[in-house]
Amino acid sequence: MEKIKRKSNWKHELKMLPGYLVVIAYVGFMVVMLGWIIGASLSTSREIFTGKVLEFESGFHWENYVTAWKTQNVSVFFGNSLLYSVVSCAGVLLIAAPAAYVLSRWNFRGSKTIRIALVIAMSVPAIMIIMPLYSLSVKWGIKGRVLLIALYIFMRVPYTAIYMLDFFATLSHDYEEAAAIDGCSANRTFWSIMLPLIQPAIITVTIFNFLSTWNEFFMALIFTTGKEMTPVGVGLLQIVNSMKYSGNYGGLFAAVIIVFLPTFLLYLFMSRRIITGVTAGGVKG
Amino acid sequence: MSMKKNRVLIFFFIAPTVICLLLMYVYPVLRTVAMSFFHVESVTADLDAWSFNGLANYDKIFHNAGFITSMKNFLAIWIVGGVITLALSLLIAVILTSKIRFQGFFRAAIYLPNVISAVALATMWVQYIFNYDYGLLNQLVTFLGFDKIRWLGTDAKLWAMIAAFIYGSVGYYMLIYISGIEGIPTDLYEAATIDGASKARQFFSITLPLLKGIVKTTITFWTINAATFYLWSKLFSPVQTEGSTIVPVIYLYDTVFGGKGVIERDAGAGAAVGVVLTLIIVAVYVVTDRLLKSRDLEY
Repeated sequence: MEKIKRKSNWKHELKMLPGYLVVIAYVGFMVVMLGWIIGASLSTSREIFTGKVLEFESGFHWENYVTAWKTQNVSVFFGNSLLYSVVSCAGVLLIAAPAAYVLSRWNFRGSKTIRIALVIAMSVPAIMIIMPLYSLSVKWGIKGRVLLIALYIFMRVPYTAIYMLDFFATLSHDYEEAAAIDGCSANRTFWSIMLPLIQPAIITVTIFNFLSTWNEFFMALIFTTGKEMTPVGVGLLQIVNSMKYSGNYGGLFAAVIIVFLPTFLLYLFMSRRIITGVTAGGVKG
Repeated sequence: MSMKKNRVLIFFFIAPTVICLLLMYVYPVLRTVAMSFFHVESVTADLDAWSFNGLANYDKIFHNAGFITSMKNFLAIWIVGGVITLALSLLIAVILTSKIRFQGFFRAAIYLPNVISAVALATMWVQYIFNYDYGLLNQLVTFLGFDKIRWLGTDAKLWAMIAAFIYGSVGYYMLIYISGIEGIPTDLYEAATIDGASKARQFFSITLPLLKGIVKTTITFWTINAATFYLWSKLFSPVQTEGSTIVPVIYLYDTVFGGKGVIERDAGAGAAVGVVLTLIIVAVYVVTDRLLKSRDLEY
């Protein structure tokens, strides 16, 4: 009996072989690419150009990371991206969570319009809004980090509100009724009872907001006016562009790895949550 | 839970979001659309510096060689890239929903490029995979005994860029297809297997028809991604805009904010480009919606 079972399993695996090959090739390519980049980030430019990246004949050149971090300003870019991502993640929640809550609870005048507007706003391309936003920011004299953070918050409000709306809608009204009997104001009920109840949704949506802000490029390219406020994406482009003057390829690949790491690590620990979240929020829009 | 009692609360809870919608979306979109019908030189010009010129901006861009080239490149990305990406992601989705080991790992690994910084990813492709001197592809080519290829030369560059973009995009569409396939009741497949339908037959008679709605969604998403394609083009031609990789948004950026080879800035023409791209997205959405009308299938 045992034998037959194993044989049929083996047979099944063989039938799936083409499938395995496709996905293994796909993932294998990425492993080779990442492996080489990590190797190159620890090699000298000469080793990179002579094709000796994974031999480490002259040892591991950790100083590439030091050069990238200090001389090539990656520390500044990194700090900026961290600041933008963390502050805007918090800001988005403060704006979108209350809105999602009232939209899930009451049908007031304009509530339907707001819902539809949020869904449409999610797919408005950035090119349709950047020009007026640019002229507004100049007119109102808003610039620098404050401007970028404000833009990043506003960019994520529609998605965040729509995502949270579904979760608030699943909560029973009993919570509010019980809180009201205890004399708890609606405002306090929201912040201390209802909001904590959707904590899983908050975590998921915040991960997505973090990823999106960390990886944002277009707005940053248009609205940053100096090195001191440049986030990682645009910063990395600047490093690439200055490569032909500095010639430090090891440093370039070290910078690539530094920019790559934060979201990669986040993904390593949260991949299950992220993968379920992609189709939960994204597809409906 | 009465609405009257909570009027004030509702107002203060919804107000910031309404302000966000008006300030970030409604006003800018309306102004961009309006601007496309005016002669506006500087993007920061006040309304009284605008002069109405009807469809002249549209006429101008459709007679501009740079814009025409960018539209051709857009079509290549949209059609060729789209067909390959959507087919490949559907194929991988089917593989990863069949009885295969390490499904979770493969899904996570294939989605990975969507999570990491696209700038970092594009840099990996440009500086390693396609590099002439030490790149992976040329190592493979020399190993097979051929001459090195200039992957980032004028002829091949667009396709190199599209290939890199496809590789990174597949994971996202794969997850969408997987969620669609997993929503199909398994007893449909069981019944089909009992009736002796082959796997291929099952795919074409069960999976594909029931995925109509999902296919529609992915076509719309791909169209948005192709029309707003920017970052990869910038990373493949970082210093100066090149005909081989120019896309509409690059053209828009150069026209509005200035770039090498742009003689006069023209915010009105830039706005017209934005409107054209948006119309393309809306048109594709409407057409696929008509063609792939998913009569609400009950199952």
